[in-house]
Amino acid sequence: MKALLSVIIAISRAERVALSYGLALSIAVLVMGVALLALSGWFIMATAAAGIAGIGVLFNVFAPSAMVRFLALGRTAARYGERVLTHDATLRAVSGLRVALLRGVLMRPHRALEQLRAASELNRITADTEALDGALLRLVLPALAGWITILAASLLLWWLVAPTMALILGAGYLVLPTVIFLAGQKVAKRPARLAEAALQIGRSRMVDLVLGRDDLAVFGQLPRATRGAQDAFDRAAEARRQLDRIDRITGMLLDMVSALVTVGCLLSGIALVQAGTISVATAAIGVFAALALAEAVASVRRALTEIGRMTQAARRIGPALRAHAPQASDAPVLASDTGLEMRDAAIEVSGRPLFRPVSLSVRPGETVVLQGASGSGKSTLLLMAVGALSPSRGQVSLFGADPSRLPMETVTESAVLVTQRAVLISGTVAANLRLAAPEARDDALWAALEATCLADTLRGRGGLDLRLGARGAGLSGGEARRLVLARAILRTPRLLLLDEPTEGLDEATARRVMAGLRQACPDAAFLVAAHHAAERDQADRIVEVARA
Amino acid sequence: MIRKKPRGPSAPKDHPSANETAGSLLAVLSSLVWLGVAAVIARVFGDLMADQPVEVWRTGLWIVLLWGLRATLDMAAQGMLARAADARIAVLRHEIVTAEAQAATPSALGGAGAIAALTHEKLEALRPALLRYRPARMRVMVLPPVILCIAAWHSWAVALVLLLAGPLIPVFMALVGWAAKEASARQLQEVGQLSDLLVERLAALSDLRLIGAGPATVDSFAQASDDLRVRTMAVLRIAFLSSTVLEFFSAVGVAMVAIWVGFSLLGELSWGGWGDVLKPTVGLYLLLLAPEFFRPLRDLAAAWHDKSGADAVMDEVATWRAEMRPRRLGRGEAVSPCPMTTLETRGLGHRGVVYPDIRLEPGDSLAIEGPSGSGKTTLLRLIAGVERPAEGLILIGGVPLSDETADAWRAGIGWMPQAPHFVNGSLRHNIGFGAAVTKETLEAARLTDVIDLLLRGDLTRLGERGAGLSGGEARRVTLARAMHGNPGLLMADEPTADLDPETAQLVSDSLLRFADAGGTLVVSTHDTALAARMAQRITIDRSAAA
Repeated sequence: MKALLSVIIAISRAERVALSYGLALSIAVLVMGVALLALSGWFIMATAAAGIAGIGVLFNVFAPSAMVRFLALGRTAARYGERVLTHDATLRAVSGLRVALLRGVLMRPHRALEQLRAASELNRITADTEALDGALLRLVLPALAGWITILAASLLLWWLVAPTMALILGAGYLVLPTVIFLAGQKVAKRPARLAEAALQIGRSRMVDLVLGRDDLAVFGQLPRATRGAQDAFDRAAEARRQLDRIDRITGMLLDMVSALVTVGCLLSGIALVQAGTISVATAAIGVFAALALAEAVASVRRALTEIGRMTQAARRIGPALRAHAPQASDAPVLASDTGLEMRDAAIEVSGRPLFRPVSLSVRPGETVVLQGASGSGKSTLLLMAVGALSPSRGQVSLFGADPSRLPMETVTESAVLVTQRAVLISGTVAANLRLAAPEARDDALWAALEATCLADTLRGRGGLDLRLGARGAGLSGGEARRLVLARAILRTPRLLLLDEPTEGLDEATARRVMAGLRQACPDAAFLVAAHHAAERDQADRIVEVARA
Repeated sequence: MIRKKPRGPSAPKDHPSANETAGSLLAVLSSLVWLGVAAVIARVFGDLMADQPVEVWRTGLWIVLLWGLRATLDMAAQGMLARAADARIAVLRHEIVTAEAQAATPSALGGAGAIAALTHEKLEALRPALLRYRPARMRVMVLPPVILCIAAWHSWAVALVLLLAGPLIPVFMALVGWAAKEASARQLQEVGQLSDLLVERLAALSDLRLIGAGPATVDSFAQASDDLRVRTMAVLRIAFLSSTVLEFFSAVGVAMVAIWVGFSLLGELSWGGWGDVLKPTVGLYLLLLAPEFFRPLRDLAAAWHDKSGADAVMDEVATWRAEMRPRRLGRGEAVSPCPMTTLETRGLGHRGVVYPDIRLEPGDSLAIEGPSGSGKTTLLRLIAGVERPAEGLILIGGVPLSDETADAWRAGIGWMPQAPHFVNGSLRHNIGFGAAVTKETLEAARLTDVIDLLLRGDLTRLGERGAGLSGGEARRVTLARAMHGNPGLLMADEPTADLDPETAQLVSDSLLRFADAGGTLVVSTHDTALAARMAQRITIDRSAAA
C-alpha cells in the first residue's frame, strides 16, 4: 500500500494542474447529477402540490426548469472535460513513468545489464505501468470525488431537509461502502496478485518461445515450452475467475447499500411528512439524492479488484524509480590532452585474478593493441577501461579521472567501446547509425560508411534507407561488423576501444577498414583487442594480456 | 506448406455460447425489475401527496426485495458473461501459443514482443466487449419499447418526446463506431510496435550503452511512448465525444419530459395526455422511467466502442491467421532417437534455391559452403525438419522425413545455431534442459575452463543472446548443448564465424573429435580451413538457382 501511495503521489505531482482540474470536474459531475435528480423530484412534487392546492398559476416554474436544463447540460459538458483531462494527464504520467523506468535500467551496473532478460523488463515497463494508470482514474479520483460529494450532499440535506435524513445518507454512504471496499480489496489482493504474476510469466515464456522456437524444436523442448506458456495463462485465468467472483459479490453488496440507504431515506421521509415536519416535495429531495448517489458509490467498484495488481506493480516499479534519483552534476572536467592510463590494473573473481595485472598508456593519436589468447581477459580489460567494471586492484585513469566513478553517459561522451556482438536493431541503416549520433546529417553518415568500406556495398542496396530485420538481419557478419564500426566513429570519440574489430573480414578489407578508422579519427587514442595482423601492423605498441 | 484452417475473423461474436445468451437474458430481466422499484417509489410519493395512508414497513420491504432481486439477477448475468468471455479468450490464447510454437518463420505481425502483446494485453481487450456488447444490444431491443408503451399508455406527448430523441442515438453511434474502429486499429499497431522496440533495445542495452547510444535509445523510446499516448487519446476522445453527445440527447429528452410533467401537474397544460388529469404518481413514474429509456441506448453506445476495439483485435488475429506461414515438421517433442542411418536429399528446392543432392553415411562429414545469404542455414534447417522444403525429399534410411518421423530424427541430432537464443535459466539448464549434464560433454566442448571462471559457475544465468559470456564462450555453450545426449548427427551453422583463431581451432577440434568418434558431421561454413577437414564438400550458389 505504501509503495502504491508513493507512486500515486509521484504521478500526481507530475500532472498536478491537470489532475486538480480533473478532480474538480469529477466532483462537479457528481454534484450536478445529484442536484439534477433531487431538483427534478422536488419540482414534480412541488408542482403537484401547487396543482392540487389550485395555486398553479402562482408557482414560479421558470427558475427550477431553467436550473434543470443548466444542470443537465452542465453535467454533460463537465463529464466530457473531466474525462479528457484526467485520461490525458494519466496517460502522460504513465508514459513518463515508462521512460523513467527505461532510464533507470540504463543506470544499472554493467554486469546486471548484461544478464537482463528483455521479457521481464518488458513486463515492468509496459504491463506494470499500465496497471498503475487505473490507480488515479479508477481509484483515487472517483473515491475522492465520491466522498466529497457525499459529504456535501449530506450537509445540504441537513440544512434543506432534515438532520435524520442527512445522517442516514451520510453514514450509510460513507461508512458501508468504505467497509465493503476495504474488506473486498483485502480478499481480492491475493488472486489479483496471482493473476497478474501468472500473466506476466506467460508473457515472458511467450517471448522465449517465439525467439527460441527453432532451437527448442530441435532439442525436443517445444511441447514443454508451449505447455509452460499455456499453463501460466491458464493459471492467470483461474485467478481471474476468483477475482471476477469477488468483484460481482462486492458489486452486489454496494448495490444493496444503495437500496438500504434509499429505503432509509424514504422511510424517514414518510415519517417526517406524516409528522408534518416537512413537505412531500422536500422529502423527495432526500430520496432522489440517495438514488443519485448510487452512481458515486458504484464507480470505485472496478478499482477494487485491481488494487492487488496495482500494489504489486508499484512495489516492483518503486525501487527502479528511486534508483533513478537525479545525480548531482559533480562530474569532473575531463582533461582532453591525456588518454587512457592503467597501472597494475587487474580484476578478481572470487579472489582469483582473471589476468595478470596490466600497465599501459594510450595517448591521443596512438594505437595500442591488446594481444592474448581467447579468454585471457582482453574484453574484460576493455570494459574496465570505460569503467563498466572497476579494477580489484591497481588504477585506471581515463582522461585524468577514474572512469568507474563517472556516470556511463559522461564516459561515453568521449570514449566509445565497440563490443564483439554487433548490436543492430530493426530499422534503416540510417536509424542504426543515428542511435549513436542522433544529430548526424546524411553526408556525415556516408562519410562514416566510406571510412569502413561499406558505402559502395550499401549504395546499390538502398543506401541509408536499406531496412534491416531484427538484430540486423539482411547484412552478412562482415557487413554488420563494419556498420557497427561506422556508428562508433560517428561519435568522433577521443578514445576508441575496439574488441576484435575486423573479425569476419578478409585481410585486405580489414586493413582498409583499420586505416579508414584512423583517418576518420586522427587524434583519437585507439585501444584494440585483436588477433589479426591487420590491427597489429597499425599498432604503436602491443600489450600482452595473459591469464593469471 | 500447410495452411491453417481459416476461420471467420468474427467467430467470437457470431455464435454466442449458452452462457452468453443466458447471461444477456438475465441482464435484461434485471433491468425490467427496476421498473417495479420505480413504481413502488412513485406510488409512495403519490399516496403521500394525496394524504393517503402509507404502509411504511411493507413499502420498505418491497423496495429492498425488488432491489435485491435486481442485484442478484445482475450478479448471475455477469457471472455467466464472465465465464463465456473467459472461455473465448482462453481458446484464442491457446490457439496463438500453439500455432506460434509450430510456426517455422516469424509472423508479419512483428517479433516476439508483438506476439506477446497480442496474446497478453490485446486479447484482454476483448473482455469488455464480450461482457457488455451482447447484453446491451438485447436490452436495447426490450427496454425502450417497453418503456415507450408504458409512457404512451399515460401520455402521447411523453411517448413522442422519447420516440423522437431515442432513435437519434443509434444513428449517431453508427457514424462514430466506424471512426472508432480505425482509431483502435492504429492504436493496437502502436502497442505492438512499442513492445517490439522495447524487446530489441533491452536485449542489446548493455552494448548500446557502451557506444553512447543510451540517451538516444531513451529518446526514441520516449517518442514511441508518447505516440502511443496520442493514439490512445484519439480513441478515447472519440469515445468520450460520442458518449457526451448521447448524454446530451438523453438530457434534453429527460428535461422535456420533466417540464411537460411539471406543467401538466400545475394544470397549465391540458394537452398531451388522454383527457384525464395527470396524477402525481404517474407524473413521478414517467420522470423516473425517462432516464431508463435512454440508459440502454447509452450503454450500447459505450459497448459499441468496446466492440470496435475488440473488432480491431479480432482483425489482427484474422490477419495473423490468414498468414500462410510454413509449419515445421513434427511436434518438437522429446522422444527416443532413431538410430543414425543414411541421410539423403533428393532435388531439394526452397525459396528459389536449388540444393545439390547429398548422401551421408554414419561417420561421414560434410562442409556446406557458399556466399552469405546463399541458403546454407536454410539447408541445415530443412535437414533438421525445422522448415519444410518446397520441393524435394529428405530420406533417412530411405524413409522420407515427415511429421511422424521428424521428432525421432531430431532426437538424434545435435544442433548448433549461429545466433542462439538462451532460455531464461542457468547455463547448465541451457545445455541439458533439465537433464543431467555429464562432465564429458563439458570437456568435449572445452567448456570447463569457461565455467571455472564464472562467479556462479554453471549456475550463471545467461542473457538471452549470451550476454555475460564472450562470443567464443557462448559458442562453446551451444556446442556443449549440441553434444549433450550423444547425438548421432551434429549440425553446426558457421561454428567458427566471429571467433578468434585460437577459439576457432578449439571448436573445430571438438567437432572433428566428434566425427572421429564415429559421429556424422554437417557444418555450414566460410572457414576454408575447417571445410578442408571434412570428407565431403558442397557449394551452394544462389546464381545457379533454377
